[in-house]
Amino acid sequence: MALPLFLQSIENGRFSTWLRESDSPFAFYFVLLFHTFGLALLVGANSLVDLRLLGFFPCMPLAPLKRFFAIMWIGFWVNATTGVLLLIAYPTKALTNPVFYAKLTIIGSAIWILTKLQKEVFLDSLTEGDMIARGAMLAKWSLVLWVGAISAGRLLAYTYTYITFPS
Amino acid sequence: MNLAHLHLLLNHFSIIGTIIGLGLFLVSLVGENDDLKRAGLIIFAAMALLSLPTFFSGVGAQGAIQELPGVSEALIDRHEGAAILALFFMEITGALSLVGLWQSHKFSRPARGNVVAVLLLSLFTVGLMARVGTTGGDIRHPEVWASSDPAANEGTLGSIAHAFEPAPDKVTELMTANKFWWAFMMALHFIGLVMIVGAVGALDLRMLGFAKELPIASMHRLVPWALAGFAINVTTGVLAFIGMPNFYTYDIAFWIKIFAILLLGLNAAAFYLTDTFNVVEHMGPGEDAPPPAKIIAASSLVLWFAVITLGRYIQFYQSTVSGR
Repeated sequence: MALPLFLQSIENGRFSTWLRESDSPFAFYFVLLFHTFGLALLVGANSLVDLRLLGFFPCMPLAPLKRFFAIMWIGFWVNATTGVLLLIAYPTKALTNPVFYAKLTIIGSAIWILTKLQKEVFLDSLTEGDMIARGAMLAKWSLVLWVGAISAGRLLAYTYTYITFPS
Repeated sequence: MNLAHLHLLLNHFSIIGTIIGLGLFLVSLVGENDDLKRAGLIIFAAMALLSLPTFFSGVGAQGAIQELPGVSEALIDRHEGAAILALFFMEITGALSLVGLWQSHKFSRPARGNVVAVLLLSLFTVGLMARVGTTGGDIRHPEVWASSDPAANEGTLGSIAHAFEPAPDKVTELMTANKFWWAFMMALHFIGLVMIVGAVGALDLRMLGFAKELPIASMHRLVPWALAGFAINVTTGVLAFIGMPNFYTYDIAFWIKIFAILLLGLNAAAFYLTDTFNVVEHMGPGEDAPPPAKIIAASSLVLWFAVITLGRYIQFYQSTVSGR
Protein backbone atom coordinates (compact mmCIF):
# COMPACT_ATOMS: atom_id res chain seq x y z
CA MET A 1 0.00 0.00 0.00
CA ALA A 2 1.38 3.38 -0.98
CA LEU A 3 1.81 5.77 1.90
CA PRO A 4 0.00 9.13 1.60
CA LEU A 5 2.38 11.80 0.34
CA PHE A 6 1.36 14.42 2.88
CA LEU A 7 3.45 12.49 5.43
CA GLN A 8 6.48 13.16 3.30
CA SER A 9 5.69 16.84 2.84
CA ILE A 10 5.35 17.32 6.61
CA GLU A 11 8.66 15.56 7.17
CA ASN A 12 10.39 17.67 4.53
CA GLY A 13 9.23 20.87 6.22
CA ARG A 14 11.93 22.92 7.95
CA PHE A 15 10.39 22.70 11.41
CA SER A 16 9.88 18.93 11.26
CA THR A 17 13.43 18.43 9.99
CA TRP A 18 14.85 20.66 12.71
CA LEU A 19 12.91 18.85 15.46
CA ARG A 20 14.10 15.47 14.23
CA GLU A 21 17.67 16.16 13.20
CA SER A 22 18.93 19.03 15.35
CA ASP A 23 21.79 18.25 17.73
CA SER A 24 20.38 20.78 20.17
CA PRO A 25 19.12 19.43 23.51
CA PHE A 26 16.22 21.86 23.06
CA ALA A 27 14.82 20.17 19.95
CA PHE A 28 13.27 16.69 19.99
CA TYR A 29 14.34 15.67 23.50
CA PHE A 30 12.97 18.88 24.96
CA VAL A 31 9.53 18.16 23.49
CA LEU A 32 9.74 14.57 24.73
CA LEU A 33 10.68 15.86 28.18
CA PHE A 34 7.63 18.09 28.42
CA HIS A 35 5.46 15.23 27.16
CA THR A 36 6.71 13.30 30.21
CA PHE A 37 6.14 16.27 32.55
CA GLY A 38 2.58 16.50 31.24
CA LEU A 39 2.09 12.79 31.81
CA ALA A 40 3.28 13.10 35.39
CA LEU A 41 0.94 16.03 36.09
CA LEU A 42 -2.13 14.64 34.34
CA VAL A 43 -1.95 10.98 35.34
CA GLY A 44 -0.31 11.66 38.71
CA ALA A 45 -3.13 13.96 39.82
CA ASN A 46 -5.90 11.93 38.16
CA SER A 47 -4.77 8.62 39.69
CA LEU A 48 -4.70 10.26 43.12
CA VAL A 49 -8.36 11.24 42.74
CA ASP A 50 -9.20 7.81 41.31
CA LEU A 51 -7.58 5.94 44.19
CA ARG A 52 -9.34 8.13 46.75
CA LEU A 53 -12.70 7.39 45.07
CA LEU A 54 -11.85 3.68 45.21
CA GLY A 55 -11.42 3.81 48.99
CA PHE A 56 -7.68 4.35 49.43
CA PHE A 57 -6.47 7.04 51.89
CA PRO A 58 -9.91 7.21 53.64
CA CYS A 59 -8.72 9.88 56.08
CA MET A 60 -8.15 12.32 53.21
CA PRO A 61 -11.19 14.58 52.67
CA LEU A 62 -12.51 14.03 49.16
CA ALA A 63 -14.05 17.34 48.15
CA PRO A 64 -10.85 19.50 48.34
CA LEU A 65 -9.22 17.15 45.83
CA LYS A 66 -11.18 19.07 43.17
CA ARG A 67 -8.27 21.53 43.24
CA PHE A 68 -6.19 18.90 41.48
CA PHE A 69 -8.31 19.09 38.32
CA ALA A 70 -6.49 22.31 37.40
CA ILE A 71 -3.19 20.38 37.48
CA MET A 72 -4.69 17.62 35.34
CA TRP A 73 -5.80 20.13 32.70
CA ILE A 74 -2.39 21.83 32.65
CA GLY A 75 -0.86 18.38 32.09
CA PHE A 76 -3.40 17.63 29.38
CA TRP A 77 -2.73 20.82 27.41
CA VAL A 78 1.04 20.45 27.75
CA ASN A 79 0.69 16.97 26.30
CA ALA A 80 -1.74 17.89 23.56
CA THR A 81 0.76 20.54 22.43
CA THR A 82 3.89 18.42 22.75
CA GLY A 83 2.01 15.47 21.25
CA VAL A 84 1.30 17.50 18.09
CA LEU A 85 4.99 18.54 17.95
CA LEU A 86 6.11 14.91 18.26
CA LEU A 87 3.69 14.03 15.47
CA ILE A 88 5.15 16.78 13.28
CA ALA A 89 8.64 15.38 13.91
CA TYR A 90 7.75 11.78 13.01
CA PRO A 91 4.40 11.72 11.15
CA THR A 92 5.09 8.54 9.17
CA LYS A 93 6.33 6.66 12.21
CA ALA A 94 3.20 7.47 14.23
CA LEU A 95 0.46 7.40 11.60
CA THR A 96 1.51 4.05 10.11
CA ASN A 97 1.39 2.35 13.52
CA PRO A 98 -2.00 1.01 14.70
CA VAL A 99 -0.80 1.40 18.30
CA PHE A 100 -0.87 5.17 17.77
CA TYR A 101 -4.62 5.12 17.00
CA ALA A 102 -5.22 2.80 19.96
CA LYS A 103 -3.34 5.24 22.20
CA LEU A 104 -5.40 8.23 21.01
CA THR A 105 -8.66 6.31 21.51
CA ILE A 106 -7.62 5.30 25.02
CA ILE A 107 -6.62 8.88 25.90
CA GLY A 108 -9.87 10.22 24.45
CA SER A 109 -11.83 7.85 26.68
CA ALA A 110 -9.74 8.71 29.74
CA ILE A 111 -10.28 12.45 29.17
CA TRP A 112 -14.02 11.87 28.70
CA ILE A 113 -14.03 10.14 32.11
CA LEU A 114 -11.98 13.01 33.56
CA THR A 115 -14.61 15.55 32.48
CA LYS A 116 -17.39 13.33 33.87
CA LEU A 117 -15.54 13.10 37.21
CA GLN A 118 -15.18 16.87 37.29
CA LYS A 119 -18.73 17.73 36.21
CA GLU A 120 -20.79 14.93 37.73
CA VAL A 121 -18.87 13.74 40.79
CA PHE A 122 -17.00 16.71 42.24
CA LEU A 123 -20.08 18.81 42.97
CA ASP A 124 -20.36 20.95 46.11
CA SER A 125 -23.93 19.71 46.59
CA LEU A 126 -22.87 16.08 47.01
CA THR A 127 -21.82 14.32 50.22
CA GLU A 128 -18.65 12.23 50.25
CA GLY A 129 -20.71 9.03 50.13
CA ASP A 130 -22.65 10.23 47.08
CA MET A 131 -19.43 11.23 45.34
CA ILE A 132 -17.98 7.77 45.88
CA ALA A 133 -21.22 6.09 44.76
CA ARG A 134 -21.16 8.09 41.53
CA GLY A 135 -17.43 8.05 40.96
CA ALA A 136 -16.07 4.63 41.92
CA MET A 137 -16.83 2.96 38.58
CA LEU A 138 -15.46 5.93 36.63
CA ALA A 139 -12.33 5.90 38.79
CA LYS A 140 -11.74 2.21 38.11
CA TRP A 141 -11.96 2.76 34.35
CA SER A 142 -9.83 5.88 34.56
CA LEU A 143 -6.97 3.92 36.18
CA VAL A 144 -7.23 1.09 33.66
CA LEU A 145 -7.24 3.52 30.73
CA TRP A 146 -4.24 5.50 32.00
CA VAL A 147 -2.21 2.33 32.45
CA GLY A 148 -3.25 1.45 28.89
CA ALA A 149 -2.31 4.90 27.57
CA ILE A 150 1.16 4.77 29.17
CA SER A 151 1.75 1.22 27.90
CA ALA A 152 0.62 2.14 24.39
CA GLY A 153 2.89 5.20 24.47
CA ARG A 154 5.87 3.07 25.45
CA LEU A 155 5.02 0.47 22.80
CA LEU A 156 5.11 3.20 20.13
CA ALA A 157 8.87 3.46 20.64
CA TYR A 158 9.38 -0.23 19.81
CA THR A 159 6.68 -1.30 17.34
CA TYR A 160 6.93 1.12 14.38
CA THR A 161 7.19 -0.04 10.74
CA TYR A 162 8.84 3.11 9.35
CA ILE A 163 10.87 5.72 11.21
CA THR A 164 10.59 8.23 8.36
CA PHE A 165 8.95 8.21 4.93
CA PRO A 166 10.56 5.39 2.88
CA SER A 167 12.53 6.75 -0.05
CA MET B 1 38.04 10.63 39.09
CA ASN B 2 36.87 7.84 36.78
CA LEU B 3 34.27 5.09 37.19
CA ALA B 4 36.81 2.62 38.58
CA HIS B 5 37.69 5.13 41.30
CA LEU B 6 34.00 5.70 42.03
CA HIS B 7 33.45 1.94 42.32
CA LEU B 8 36.34 1.49 44.77
CA LEU B 9 35.17 4.45 46.82
CA LEU B 10 31.52 3.43 47.09
CA ASN B 11 31.87 -0.32 47.62
CA HIS B 12 33.45 0.04 51.06
CA PHE B 13 30.57 2.19 52.27
CA SER B 14 27.88 -0.23 51.11
CA ILE B 15 29.58 -3.28 52.63
CA ILE B 16 30.73 -1.80 55.92
CA GLY B 17 27.54 0.23 56.30
CA THR B 18 25.41 -2.88 55.99
CA ILE B 19 27.53 -4.63 58.64
CA ILE B 20 27.11 -1.63 60.97
CA GLY B 21 23.36 -1.67 60.31
CA LEU B 22 23.18 -5.35 61.21
CA GLY B 23 25.23 -4.72 64.36
CA LEU B 24 22.86 -2.00 65.55
CA PHE B 25 19.85 -4.11 64.66
CA LEU B 26 21.15 -7.12 66.62
CA VAL B 27 21.98 -4.97 69.65
CA SER B 28 18.51 -3.41 69.48
CA LEU B 29 16.94 -6.88 69.58
CA VAL B 30 19.00 -7.97 72.56
CA GLY B 31 18.48 -4.70 74.41
CA GLU B 32 14.88 -4.26 73.22
CA ASN B 33 15.65 -0.72 72.19
CA ASP B 34 13.19 0.65 69.62
CA ASP B 35 15.27 3.74 68.76
CA LEU B 36 18.26 1.58 67.95
CA LYS B 37 16.05 -0.71 65.91
CA ARG B 38 14.90 2.28 63.88
CA ALA B 39 18.51 3.37 63.43
CA GLY B 40 19.33 -0.08 62.05
CA LEU B 41 16.39 0.08 59.64
CA ILE B 42 17.39 3.57 58.47
CA ILE B 43 20.95 2.37 57.79
CA PHE B 44 19.67 -0.65 55.84
CA ALA B 45 17.47 1.60 53.70
CA ALA B 46 20.34 4.06 53.14
CA MET B 47 22.72 1.24 52.18
CA ALA B 48 20.15 -0.19 49.77
CA LEU B 49 20.10 3.22 48.08
CA LEU B 50 23.89 3.63 48.10
CA SER B 51 24.37 0.10 46.73
CA LEU B 52 22.75 1.20 43.48
CA PRO B 53 25.59 3.51 42.32
CA THR B 54 28.07 1.01 43.74
CA PHE B 55 26.57 -1.67 41.50
CA PHE B 56 26.24 0.61 38.47
CA SER B 57 29.86 1.81 38.67
CA GLY B 58 31.11 -1.77 38.47
CA VAL B 59 30.65 -1.92 34.71
CA GLY B 60 32.86 1.14 34.26
CA ALA B 61 35.47 -0.33 36.59
CA GLN B 62 35.42 -3.48 34.50
CA GLY B 63 35.85 -1.46 31.32
CA ALA B 64 38.85 0.33 32.82
CA ILE B 65 40.78 -2.81 33.77
CA GLN B 66 39.70 -5.70 31.56
CA GLU B 67 42.40 -5.03 28.96
CA LEU B 68 45.18 -4.87 31.56
CA PRO B 69 47.64 -7.78 31.78
CA GLY B 70 46.84 -10.35 34.46
CA VAL B 71 43.15 -9.47 34.74
CA SER B 72 40.93 -12.52 34.46
CA GLU B 73 37.54 -12.25 32.77
CA ALA B 74 36.37 -15.27 34.79
CA LEU B 75 37.08 -13.51 38.09
CA ILE B 76 35.20 -10.41 36.95
CA ASP B 77 32.22 -12.56 35.93
CA ARG B 78 32.23 -14.30 39.30
CA HIS B 79 32.26 -10.93 41.08
CA GLU B 80 29.47 -9.63 38.87
CA GLY B 81 27.25 -12.67 39.48
CA ALA B 82 27.87 -12.30 43.22
CA ALA B 83 27.00 -8.59 42.97
CA ILE B 84 23.67 -9.24 41.22
CA LEU B 85 22.61 -11.74 43.89
CA ALA B 86 23.77 -9.50 46.76
CA LEU B 87 22.05 -6.45 45.28
CA PHE B 88 18.80 -8.44 45.06
CA PHE B 89 18.94 -9.26 48.79
CA MET B 90 20.17 -5.76 49.69
CA GLU B 91 17.23 -4.08 47.93
CA ILE B 92 14.67 -6.41 49.52
CA THR B 93 16.24 -5.76 52.92
CA GLY B 94 16.04 -2.02 52.25
CA ALA B 95 12.42 -2.21 51.11
CA LEU B 96 11.37 -4.25 54.16
CA SER B 97 13.25 -1.78 56.38
CA LEU B 98 11.15 1.04 54.95
CA VAL B 99 8.02 -1.02 55.65
CA GLY B 100 9.27 -1.45 59.23
CA LEU B 101 9.92 2.29 59.56
CA TRP B 102 6.39 3.01 58.32
CA GLN B 103 4.99 0.54 60.85
CA SER B 104 6.99 2.11 63.66
CA HIS B 105 5.62 5.51 62.60
CA LYS B 106 2.03 4.25 62.64
CA PHE B 107 2.11 1.77 65.56
CA SER B 108 5.22 3.14 67.35
CA ARG B 109 7.20 -0.02 66.55
CA PRO B 110 7.78 -2.35 63.59
CA ALA B 111 5.61 -5.48 63.49
CA ARG B 112 7.17 -8.69 64.80
CA GLY B 113 6.93 -10.32 61.36
CA ASN B 114 8.81 -7.43 59.82
CA VAL B 115 11.59 -7.60 62.43
CA VAL B 116 12.07 -11.33 61.79
CA ALA B 117 12.10 -10.83 58.01
CA VAL B 118 14.59 -7.94 58.15
CA LEU B 119 16.80 -9.91 60.52
CA LEU B 120 16.95 -12.99 58.28
CA LEU B 121 17.37 -11.02 55.07
CA SER B 122 20.03 -8.71 56.47
CA LEU B 123 22.02 -11.72 57.70
CA PHE B 124 21.93 -13.13 54.17
CA THR B 125 22.71 -9.71 52.72
CA VAL B 126 25.78 -9.19 54.92
CA GLY B 127 27.08 -12.62 53.96
CA LEU B 128 26.52 -11.99 50.27
CA MET B 129 27.97 -8.47 50.45
CA ALA B 130 31.09 -9.91 52.08
CA ARG B 131 31.34 -12.35 49.20
CA VAL B 132 30.98 -9.53 46.68
CA GLY B 133 33.83 -7.73 48.44
CA THR B 134 36.03 -10.83 48.48
CA THR B 135 35.43 -11.76 44.85
CA GLY B 136 35.94 -8.12 43.88
CA GLY B 137 39.22 -7.94 45.77
CA ASP B 138 40.40 -11.13 44.04
CA ILE B 139 40.27 -9.36 40.67
CA ARG B 140 43.24 -7.07 41.35
CA HIS B 141 44.88 -8.59 44.44
CA PRO B 142 46.64 -11.86 43.62
CA GLU B 143 48.53 -11.50 46.91
CA VAL B 144 45.41 -12.66 48.78
CA TRP B 145 44.81 -15.72 46.60
CA ALA B 146 45.21 -19.09 48.28
CA SER B 147 46.33 -20.59 44.97
CA SER B 148 46.62 -19.51 41.37
CA ASP B 149 42.94 -20.20 40.75
CA PRO B 150 40.80 -18.48 43.41
CA ALA B 151 37.55 -19.73 41.89
CA ALA B 152 38.64 -23.30 42.53
CA ASN B 153 39.48 -22.45 46.14
CA GLU B 154 36.10 -21.22 47.22
CA GLY B 155 35.02 -22.42 50.64
CA THR B 156 31.86 -24.46 51.09
CA LEU B 157 29.75 -21.36 51.72
CA GLY B 158 31.22 -19.67 48.66
CA SER B 159 30.33 -22.63 46.45
CA ILE B 160 26.79 -22.73 47.82
CA ALA B 161 26.35 -19.01 47.15
CA HIS B 162 27.88 -19.42 43.71
CA ALA B 163 25.21 -21.99 42.81
CA PHE B 164 22.58 -19.26 43.20
CA GLU B 165 24.50 -16.55 41.37
CA PRO B 166 23.29 -15.77 37.85
CA ALA B 167 25.65 -15.66 34.88
CA PRO B 168 25.72 -11.91 34.17
CA ASP B 169 25.81 -12.28 30.35
CA LYS B 170 22.73 -14.51 30.44
CA VAL B 171 20.73 -11.92 32.40
CA THR B 172 21.81 -9.19 29.99
CA GLU B 173 20.70 -11.31 27.05
CA LEU B 174 17.40 -12.15 28.72
CA MET B 175 16.51 -8.47 29.24
CA THR B 176 17.01 -7.47 25.61
CA ALA B 177 15.99 -10.65 23.78
CA ASN B 178 12.35 -9.63 23.41
CA LYS B 179 11.35 -6.06 22.62
CA PHE B 180 7.94 -6.54 24.25
CA TRP B 181 9.58 -7.50 27.53
CA TRP B 182 11.67 -4.33 27.28
CA ALA B 183 8.59 -2.23 26.44
CA PHE B 184 6.77 -3.82 29.40
CA MET B 185 9.60 -2.90 31.79
CA MET B 186 9.69 0.66 30.44
CA ALA B 187 5.90 0.98 30.76
CA LEU B 188 6.24 -0.13 34.39
CA HIS B 189 9.05 2.40 34.88
CA PHE B 190 6.69 5.18 33.69
CA ILE B 191 3.83 3.90 35.86
CA GLY B 192 6.23 3.96 38.82
CA LEU B 193 7.16 7.53 37.89
CA VAL B 194 3.49 8.54 37.94
CA MET B 195 2.98 6.87 41.34
CA ILE B 196 5.98 8.67 42.84
CA VAL B 197 5.33 12.11 41.39
CA GLY B 198 1.56 11.86 41.92
CA ALA B 199 1.93 10.99 45.60
CA VAL B 200 5.04 12.93 46.62
CA GLY B 201 4.10 15.85 44.39
CA ALA B 202 0.67 16.17 46.01
CA LEU B 203 2.19 16.12 49.50
CA ASP B 204 4.85 18.64 48.46
CA LEU B 205 2.28 20.97 46.89
CA ARG B 206 0.16 20.86 50.06
CA MET B 207 3.19 21.76 52.19
CA LEU B 208 3.87 24.65 49.82
CA GLY B 209 0.35 25.95 50.38
CA PHE B 210 -1.68 24.38 47.56
CA ALA B 211 -5.14 22.92 48.46
CA LYS B 212 -4.85 24.00 52.09
CA GLU B 213 -8.26 22.50 52.86
CA LEU B 214 -6.46 19.15 53.01
CA PRO B 215 -4.90 18.14 56.35
CA ILE B 216 -1.19 17.32 55.90
CA ALA B 217 -1.48 14.21 58.06
CA SER B 218 -3.93 12.70 55.56
CA MET B 219 -1.66 13.61 52.64
CA HIS B 220 1.21 11.85 54.35
CA ARG B 221 -0.70 8.58 53.86
CA LEU B 222 0.39 8.85 50.22
CA VAL B 223 4.01 8.11 51.10
CA PRO B 224 3.74 4.27 50.98
CA TRP B 225 2.22 4.67 47.53
CA ALA B 226 5.26 6.69 46.40
CA LEU B 227 7.59 4.11 47.96
CA ALA B 228 5.80 1.34 46.04
CA GLY B 229 6.37 3.35 42.84
CA PHE B 230 10.03 3.78 43.82
CA ALA B 231 10.37 0.01 44.39
CA ILE B 232 8.93 -0.63 40.91
CA ASN B 233 11.38 1.84 39.41
CA VAL B 234 14.45 0.55 41.24
CA THR B 235 13.56 -2.94 40.03
CA THR B 236 12.87 -1.99 36.42
CA GLY B 237 15.77 0.48 36.39
CA VAL B 238 18.30 -2.08 37.63
CA LEU B 239 17.00 -4.67 35.15
CA ALA B 240 17.28 -2.13 32.31
CA PHE B 241 20.84 -1.32 33.42
CA ILE B 242 21.77 -5.01 33.42
CA GLY B 243 20.14 -5.29 29.98
CA MET B 244 22.19 -2.47 28.42
CA PRO B 245 25.11 -1.79 30.82
CA ASN B 246 27.30 0.06 28.35
CA PHE B 247 24.47 2.33 27.24
CA TYR B 248 23.99 3.69 30.78
CA THR B 249 27.53 3.46 32.14
CA TYR B 250 29.13 5.98 29.79
CA ASP B 251 26.33 8.54 30.08
CA ILE B 252 26.58 11.74 32.12
CA ALA B 253 22.79 12.20 32.35
CA PHE B 254 22.46 8.74 33.91
CA TRP B 255 25.06 9.50 36.60
CA ILE B 256 23.58 12.89 37.49
CA LYS B 257 20.16 11.21 37.67
CA ILE B 258 21.52 8.68 40.20
CA PHE B 259 23.15 11.54 42.13
CA ALA B 260 19.81 13.40 42.19
CA ILE B 261 18.13 10.28 43.59
CA LEU B 262 20.74 10.11 46.37
CA LEU B 263 20.05 13.80 47.10
CA LEU B 264 16.35 12.90 47.37
CA GLY B 265 17.37 10.36 50.00
CA LEU B 266 19.14 13.14 51.93
CA ASN B 267 16.10 15.38 51.48
CA ALA B 268 13.88 12.66 52.95
CA ALA B 269 16.33 12.35 55.86
CA ALA B 270 16.15 16.12 56.40
CA PHE B 271 12.38 15.79 56.57
CA TYR B 272 12.01 12.76 58.85
CA LEU B 273 15.12 12.93 61.03
CA THR B 274 14.82 16.56 62.06
CA ASP B 275 11.95 18.16 63.92
CA THR B 276 10.27 19.15 60.64
CA PHE B 277 8.15 16.04 60.30
CA ASN B 278 6.96 16.17 63.94
CA VAL B 279 5.78 19.73 63.40
CA VAL B 280 4.10 19.10 60.06
CA GLU B 281 2.63 15.70 60.82
CA HIS B 282 -0.36 16.88 62.79
CA MET B 283 -1.22 19.93 60.72
CA GLY B 284 -4.91 20.18 59.97
CA PRO B 285 -6.83 21.92 57.21
CA GLY B 286 -5.88 25.56 56.54
CA GLU B 287 -2.62 25.42 58.50
CA ASP B 288 0.53 26.78 56.91
CA ALA B 289 3.70 24.66 56.97
CA PRO B 290 6.82 26.29 58.50
CA PRO B 291 9.66 27.48 56.19
CA PRO B 292 11.94 24.42 56.67
CA ALA B 293 9.09 22.15 55.53
CA LYS B 294 8.51 24.38 52.51
CA ILE B 295 12.18 24.29 51.57
CA ILE B 296 12.18 20.49 51.80
CA ALA B 297 8.95 20.25 49.76
CA ALA B 298 10.32 22.58 47.07
CA SER B 299 13.61 20.64 46.93
CA SER B 300 11.69 17.40 46.55
CA LEU B 301 9.62 18.75 43.65
CA VAL B 302 12.65 20.24 41.89
CA LEU B 303 14.70 17.06 42.37
CA TRP B 304 11.97 14.70 41.15
CA PHE B 305 11.45 16.76 38.02
CA ALA B 306 15.24 16.81 37.59
CA VAL B 307 15.22 13.01 37.81
CA ILE B 308 12.58 12.87 35.05
CA THR B 309 14.58 15.35 32.96
CA LEU B 310 17.86 13.48 33.34
CA GLY B 311 16.16 10.16 32.59
CA ARG B 312 14.69 11.60 29.43
CA TYR B 313 18.13 12.85 28.31
CA ILE B 314 19.99 9.56 28.84
CA GLN B 315 19.62 8.68 25.17
CA PHE B 316 20.72 12.18 24.11
CA TYR B 317 23.88 12.13 26.23
CA GLN B 318 25.12 8.60 25.51
CA SER B 319 28.91 8.17 25.27
CA THR B 320 29.61 11.34 27.26
CA VAL B 321 31.61 9.64 30.03
CA SER B 322 35.12 8.43 29.29
CA GLY B 323 35.95 4.80 29.99
CA ARG B 324 39.38 5.68 31.33
